Amino acid sequence: MSTAWTNRVLLLVGLVLAGIYLFPLYWMYVTSLKTNSSIFAVPPEFLPGAPQWQNYALIWEVANLPRFLWNSLVIATGVTAITAITGVGAAYVLARYRNAWVDVSLFLVLMLQVLPPSLMVTPIFVGFSWVGLLDYPRFAAVLAISAKTMPFFVILCRAAFMTVPRELEEAALVDGNSRAGAFFMIVLPLARNGILVAALLIFMQGFGEFVYSASLIADNRLHPASIGMTNFLQPNVVNWNAIMAYAATYVTPLIAIFVILQRQIVTGLTAGALK
Amino acid sequence: MTRLLKSLRDGIGFDTMLIILALSYLFAFAGLPLLYNVIISFQQVDVFSLGTLFHPPAGFDNYVSVFTDPLARRVLINTIIFTLGSVALQFSLGFALALFFHQNFPGSTWLRGLFLAGWILPGLVVGVLWNWLLSGDFGVINHMLRSWGLIDSAIFWRSDTAWSLYAVMLANIWYGTPFNMILLSVGLAAIPNDLYEAAELDGANAWQRFWTITLPMMRSTIGAVLALGVIFTLQQFDLFAAITQGGPAGSSTVAQYWSWELSFREFDFGRGAVISVCMIIVVLFVSLIYVRSTRAETRL
Repeated sequence: MSTAWTNRVLLLVGLVLAGIYLFPLYWMYVTSLKTNSSIFAVPPEFLPGAPQWQNYALIWEVANLPRFLWNSLVIATGVTAITAITGVGAAYVLARYRNAWVDVSLFLVLMLQVLPPSLMVTPIFVGFSWVGLLDYPRFAAVLAISAKTMPFFVILCRAAFMTVPRELEEAALVDGNSRAGAFFMIVLPLARNGILVAALLIFMQGFGEFVYSASLIADNRLHPASIGMTNFLQPNVVNWNAIMAYAATYVTPLIAIFVILQRQIVTGLTAGALK
Repeated sequence: MTRLLKSLRDGIGFDTMLIILALSYLFAFAGLPLLYNVIISFQQVDVFSLGTLFHPPAGFDNYVSVFTDPLARRVLINTIIFTLGSVALQFSLGFALALFFHQNFPGSTWLRGLFLAGWILPGLVVGVLWNWLLSGDFGVINHMLRSWGLIDSAIFWRSDTAWSLYAVMLANIWYGTPFNMILLSVGLAAIPNDLYEAAELDGANAWQRFWTITLPMMRSTIGAVLALGVIFTLQQFDLFAAITQGGPAGSSTVAQYWSWELSFREFDFGRGAVISVCMIIVVLFVSLIYVRSTRAETRL
């Protein structure tokens, strides 16, 4: 068999594999466009009949989606801001030096990356309720989530800083820049892409976060969209088309960002994830 | 004072300030809770004593009551099955896909990237999607299994105590496979090609090349990926919340879910903290393995 044919067969197999893998997403969109009765058709309809776009309009109103999405946006923005501001400098220092202190710091960061939120939330809740932070629930959730996302951000950004040649920074210092000046004017702009991808991944995590928000935010007017979704999960749910319309509205922006920036995200992830 | 300011702007003080900013944040919101967790596991903490820093001491009462709980055995077994099953399948599927896409045919990088679309979704949404896919009477998965003749009658994935844990596991495998695949792809790409060429000249077939080159060269990557798999699986919470809520009758409750349930459903924070303390020790132990294997790789 010639190489061209082998490639074509491999591509075909690859497409089939990706199709199987992405079927749940397809099923989400198809279900979201079905009528109340056709979601329960036996056998299931793999192609939608007349698309029921009003499912989306309905869920937007009935489920208070704007409010939930707004809260998710607030939380994700807060988490990204705190994580980026406190994490970016540390990532730079950890990339720039190699000594015992840096080793210990890096070790601490790597170890703190692994703490499961559902286990950390008990002491955080008890501690926060003593301090009084629970009176500002979204802020409390942002603080807790940032502690979870920061190690991951630091590790990804560290990889980005490692690609910046040290000579450029030294040249800036020779030219009379201060350390701070060289960092802000030279190093930060050069590592910009890696930092932006890392920040984007943190934003996506914040946008979909569930455990901390569900445990720390009692007021349902302040709930993010992830909690809004659980309101549907009663024992005998029937409105799966509405739920899938909700899910699709929630994740389509994330999927869109991912599709547009796929290459950068994969590169950023592979550069940082194992180092 | 001016010397300090100058050092902050243009000396070692600048770097120290940057790293201390991050470390003090992590200390406040991860380190302190970690220590506080141990303290409250020895206290009696309920809704009435929440507003204070220290609560009535409870000695080892919380520990005794958790370990003698009728559910404890079930939860321990579930946690082990869920973790080992998820990691084993995520890893093998991820490795198989990584090897497949390593053939470098036109479009392979792009197709491989598509798989990450699953990984970037919020865990709760993935759970809700699978909740619908695995629905008993109208679920599309039951329909496919039936039409292929694999089962005779519908499996009630979410409400049958024999299947509920595996329903969540299935979703978790789907969710975690792309990440395994990407990390293993990086490891595969790092193996120098001339090793394979040399082996081919020596007459080694694909199977032999896999066992004598690929696996040994990937050893530290595999160690890191397996450790990360265990760590991420022990963090999994959203899928349980969205698919089975630990039920029915605790048949799909794992440790990290039980801990949360004790704290936030029964408001028994002391007992929740007990499980939390025990599990965090396990996680930190696994992450030691992870950190060690990544260090072996990058030679820090």
